[in-house]
Amino acid sequence: MTAQSAAAPGAAAPKPPAQPGRWKGRALTGALMLPATLWYVVLLVAPILIVLVFSFGKRSRTGGYTPGFSFDNYASALNTADPFLTSLFLSVVGTALCLLIGLPLAYFIATRATKRKALLIVLLVIPFWTSFLIRTYAWLLILGPDGVAGFIGDLTGNATFRILGTEPGVLLGLVYGYLPLMIFPLYVTLERMDRTLVEASKDLGASRWATFRQITLPITLPGLITGSILVFIPMMGEYVIPQLLGYGQVYTIGNLLYSRFLEARNWPSGSALGVGLILIMLVVVTVYVWFTNRGRTVRDVSVV
Amino acid sequence: MASPAIPVPAARTVGGRAKAGVDRYGRLVEAWLRGHTLLVYLFLYLPIVVVVVFSFNGTARRVTQWDGLSIRWYETVLASKEIQGYLRNSLIVGASTAVISTIIGTMAALGLGRTPKWFRMPFDALTYVSIIVPELVIALATLVFFASTIGPDGVVTSLTGVRLGFGFHTIVPALSLFNISLVLLLVRARLSGMDRTHVEASYDLYGTPWRTFWQITFPQLLPAIVAGFLLSFTFAFDDYLITTFVNGQGTSTMPLYVFGQIRRGVTPATNAVAAIMLLITLSILLGGQLLTRRRGGGGRDTSVAGMIAEQAA
Amino acid sequence: MTDRDRELEAMLARMSRAKVSRRGFLAGTGLAGLSAFIAACSGTSATASPTSATPSQAPAASAAAPSGEASAAASVRPSAQAVTETEGTLLMYNWADYVDPNNIEKFKTDFKVDTFTYDVYDSNEELLTKLQGGATGQWDIGAPTAEFVEAMVEGSFIEKLDWSKLPNAAYIDPQFQNFYKGDKADLNNYHLPKDWGTTGIALRTKDVQEDVKTWKDFFDVAPKYSGRIVVVNSPGDVFVAPLKALGYSLNSTDPGELGKARELLMGLAPHVLALDSNTYQDKLADEEAVMGLVWTGGIDDLRSKPETADTKYVIPEDGTLYWMDTWVIFKDPPHPNSAYAFLNFIQTPDIQAQETVTNRYATANLEAAKLVPQDLLNNPTIFVPADVLASGKLEGAQDVSTDPLRVQIWEEFSSSIGKK
Repeated sequence: MTAQSAAAPGAAAPKPPAQPGRWKGRALTGALMLPATLWYVVLLVAPILIVLVFSFGKRSRTGGYTPGFSFDNYASALNTADPFLTSLFLSVVGTALCLLIGLPLAYFIATRATKRKALLIVLLVIPFWTSFLIRTYAWLLILGPDGVAGFIGDLTGNATFRILGTEPGVLLGLVYGYLPLMIFPLYVTLERMDRTLVEASKDLGASRWATFRQITLPITLPGLITGSILVFIPMMGEYVIPQLLGYGQVYTIGNLLYSRFLEARNWPSGSALGVGLILIMLVVVTVYVWFTNRGRTVRDVSVV
Repeated sequence: MASPAIPVPAARTVGGRAKAGVDRYGRLVEAWLRGHTLLVYLFLYLPIVVVVVFSFNGTARRVTQWDGLSIRWYETVLASKEIQGYLRNSLIVGASTAVISTIIGTMAALGLGRTPKWFRMPFDALTYVSIIVPELVIALATLVFFASTIGPDGVVTSLTGVRLGFGFHTIVPALSLFNISLVLLLVRARLSGMDRTHVEASYDLYGTPWRTFWQITFPQLLPAIVAGFLLSFTFAFDDYLITTFVNGQGTSTMPLYVFGQIRRGVTPATNAVAAIMLLITLSILLGGQLLTRRRGGGGRDTSVAGMIAEQAA
Repeated sequence: MTDRDRELEAMLARMSRAKVSRRGFLAGTGLAGLSAFIAACSGTSATASPTSATPSQAPAASAAAPSGEASAAASVRPSAQAVTETEGTLLMYNWADYVDPNNIEKFKTDFKVDTFTYDVYDSNEELLTKLQGGATGQWDIGAPTAEFVEAMVEGSFIEKLDWSKLPNAAYIDPQFQNFYKGDKADLNNYHLPKDWGTTGIALRTKDVQEDVKTWKDFFDVAPKYSGRIVVVNSPGDVFVAPLKALGYSLNSTDPGELGKARELLMGLAPHVLALDSNTYQDKLADEEAVMGLVWTGGIDDLRSKPETADTKYVIPEDGTLYWMDTWVIFKDPPHPNSAYAFLNFIQTPDIQAQETVTNRYATANLEAAKLVPQDLLNNPTIFVPADVLASGKLEGAQDVSTDPLRVQIWEEFSSSIGKK
C-alpha cells in the first residue's frame, strides 16, 4: 500500500466505476467542483484581472489608480533584485528549517502518539490563536538584550551580540510563524502510513535509514511538497516579521510591496511588482513540483 | 521498543517489541523523537508563556515593560464592550471561514480526480496562484472588486438597488479563498496515496456511493479534514491584511484592534485576552481528555476520527 | 454693543485666562486665526469682507477670506445649534482606543444612541487606500491625520462640515482649525481638530553627553552612537530631520533640497539600529538605543520611571513637524445627526478635557485645555511649551509622502538601515 501501488490503479481508472450512468457521474463531478470553481473565478480571477489592469495604469495625483497603458511599472519592478534575493534566501532557509523541525515531529505524532494524536494536533495550533503581533512581541522580549541575546552576550563576553535585527532573528520568527503549515500536511500523509510496512522492511534487514528512504519518504512526499509550498510562499511575501524582528534591517520584497501600495500609494507600481512576483513564484512552484515528483506517478485518485 | 511517556496500546507495539533486540539504535531513535517533539512544543509555547505572564503586568501602557503584578488588564477586558466585540467578531470570522473552506475544499479535492485534464490543469494552476498571490495584493484587489460590484456605486447595487456594503459577507468569502486551497491541498495530499481497493470493494458490497463515501472514504480523509479545519480557523481568526481591507461597519476583529493599538503601544489588555482564550481552549481540551479517560478508551485503534468523536461527546 | 462683540470680548477674556499662555498665538501664526476671527465677527453677515484683514497678514487673510466659512470655523457662531435628536446609531472608524470609553457611554446615554460601533484602522495610508478602493458609505465619523484631509476631499470621501450644527467648534484653537493655508483654506471646513503632538529627538542623557538641541546636532553626533539610534518607520517624519537641519521646509519636494536631504539620510542609515514605530520606547528603555527620531508616545512613561528618568525629549530648535488628528464626517454618512451630535459632544470642554487625560495628547480645544490637570499641561511630551509654539518653528505636514523622488529616497534609505 505504498504511494505507487495505491496510485497506480486509481490513475488507471479515473472514471468512477459502477455508476448508473456517465451523465450522473458528471453531474456529481460538477456539483463537487462548482463551489470552489465559483470562488476561484469570482474572488481570484476577477481580482487578478483588476491587478493586471492596474499594473499598466498610472498613479493618480492623490494616489490610487488612473487608466493608462504603459510598461513603465514593469520596468521599475525589474529594479528590485536585492529585496527579492533577501526574501528568497529567507524563504529557502526557512522552509528547510521547517522541514527539519516539522518532519520528526509529524512522524512522532503520526506513528507514536496513538491515543493522544488529536490532543497533540490541537495543541499545535492553539499558540496561533494568540494574536500574531502579540506573539511576535513576545519574541522581542525573549530574544532581546534582557533575554537570550543578553545571556549569550554575557556568556561569550561579547557585549554587542544580538539576535534581533539580524537574519537569524527573522528566520526564527518565520519558522515559528509558519511551522504548523509544514507539520499538518506531513502529518496527514504520515498518519496513513502502515506500520507493518516499516516493520516488514526492518525484518527484511533494511537499515533504519533505508527504511525511511524507501518506505517513509515516498509516502510523505505529497505532504512534503504541499507543506513546502505552503511555507515557502507566505514567507516570500512576509513583511511584518522582518520589520519587527529584523528591526527594518532585513528589507524584503514584502516591505517593498507595502511601501509601493500604501506609503507611496502607487497602485500601478505595486501591482506590476505583484504580478511579477506571482509569475516568478508560479514558475518556482511548477519546477519544484515537477522536480520532486519526477519519475513518480503520484496522481490524484478518484475515491468517490 | 522504548515505552514512550505516552502509553501505547499493546496492539500497536507488538511488532516493535519483537524487534527491539534486533535494532540496537531503536531506543536512541525513540528517545530522540520524543525529545525533539518536546522541544518543538516548548518552542511553540515559549512566547505564549511570556504572553500569559505579561498579562499580569501592571504597566500603564507598554506591554513589554514589566511594572509589577496586577490583574487590572483582566478587569479592563471584562469591562470593555469594544474588546469583547472584536473578539466575538474574530470568532465569527474564524468559525464561518473554517466551515466554508473545509466543506468546499474537501468537495473540490474529491471531485478533482474525476475531472478531465483540460479542467484540472487550469484549476490546479489557480489553486497555486491563490496561495502565491501576496496577501496585500489580493486584499486590495478584492476590495476594489467588492466596491465595484456591491459597493455604494457598484454594478450590483445600481442594478438591484440592494445596498450590501461590507461586513462579514465580504470578509468570510475573501478569507475563504486561501483557506479553500489550503484544505484542498491537505486533503489531496492525503488522497494521493489512498487505497482505492476498499472503495471498489465497498461498491461491490454496499452499492451506493453515498454509503461508501461515509463509511470508507470519509474516515480515511478525516485527519486531513480536521487539519484543514483547524488551520483555516487559525488563519481566519488571526488574519489582519485582508480583513482590514474588506471589513465594514461593526466588523473589526481582534487582530485589527491589536494592530491598531500599535501606535499607542500595545497594552497588556491584549495579552489578557490571549490568556483568557488560552484558558478556555485548554480547559475544553482537558475536559474532553478527562471525559474520554473516564469512559475508558481501552485498546481500540484510536484514529483522529475516533478521538474527535469522543471529545465531541 | 452687539451680541457678537460681547462674544468676542468674552472669548478674549477666556484666552487671557488660559493656563497655557496664549500670547504665543497672538505673536505667531495664531495671529492669522485671530484676524480671521475678528474678520468673521466684524462682518454684519456670515460672509466676511476680505478687506477687513490687515495687509501685513495677507496670507492669513487669504486663508480666511475665500468663503467666509473657513474663518467661521474658528469663530463663535451665535446661531450654531447643537444636534440633539440622533438616529440612535453611530458608526465610528478610528484609531484603536482613541476615545475614552466613559465618554462613549455618556454619549450613548445622553443622546439615546443604542448602537455605537468602533471599527479600527492602524494607519492613515490604510484608511485612505481603503476609501480609494471604494469602501465608502460605511461609517459616519473618523479621525485621520490632518494632511490626509486633502486627498479625502479630493476623492469626495468626506463631507463639508455644517458649522451651524457644531457650536463647540468655537473652542478650537484657530491655528489648528486653520491647518490648511492659502488657496487650500477651504479644506478647513472639512475637519474638526482632535489631538496634536510633535516629532522630535529622544535622548538617554546618561549615555549621550552632547547637548543635542537641533536636527543638525542629531546628524553630527549620530556616528558616535552608531548602532544605537532608533528611527520611527514613517517617511513623513524621517524627512523632517534632514530638511529641517538644512533649513528647508519639511514639506519640500524640490529636487535640489531633497538631493541634499538624501545625502544626510544615507549618511545616517548605517548608524541606525532600527526603523521602528511600535517599540522604539522599549529600545530606549533597554538602552539598546540611546538616541531616537521619535514621536512623543510613551516617552513620558520612561521619564516617570526612576531607572529611565534620564530620558529627555527634545523639540529641535531648527524646527520640526507637528501632527494633528482631526475629526471628519465621511461622505453620505448613514447617521448624519448622530455624527454631528458626537462631534459637538466630544468638544464639550469637560468631555474633551477627559479625552486629553485619557489619551495623553494635547487637545486643540482651548476651553478644554483649561480643565486639564497642570502636570499634563507642563509635560513637554504632551503640551508644547508656549515659547516653542510662539517661535513659529512648528510646521504642519502636507501630503507629500507620495512624491516620486521622496518615495525613491525613502526606499533607498529604508533598505540601507544598519548596512555599513
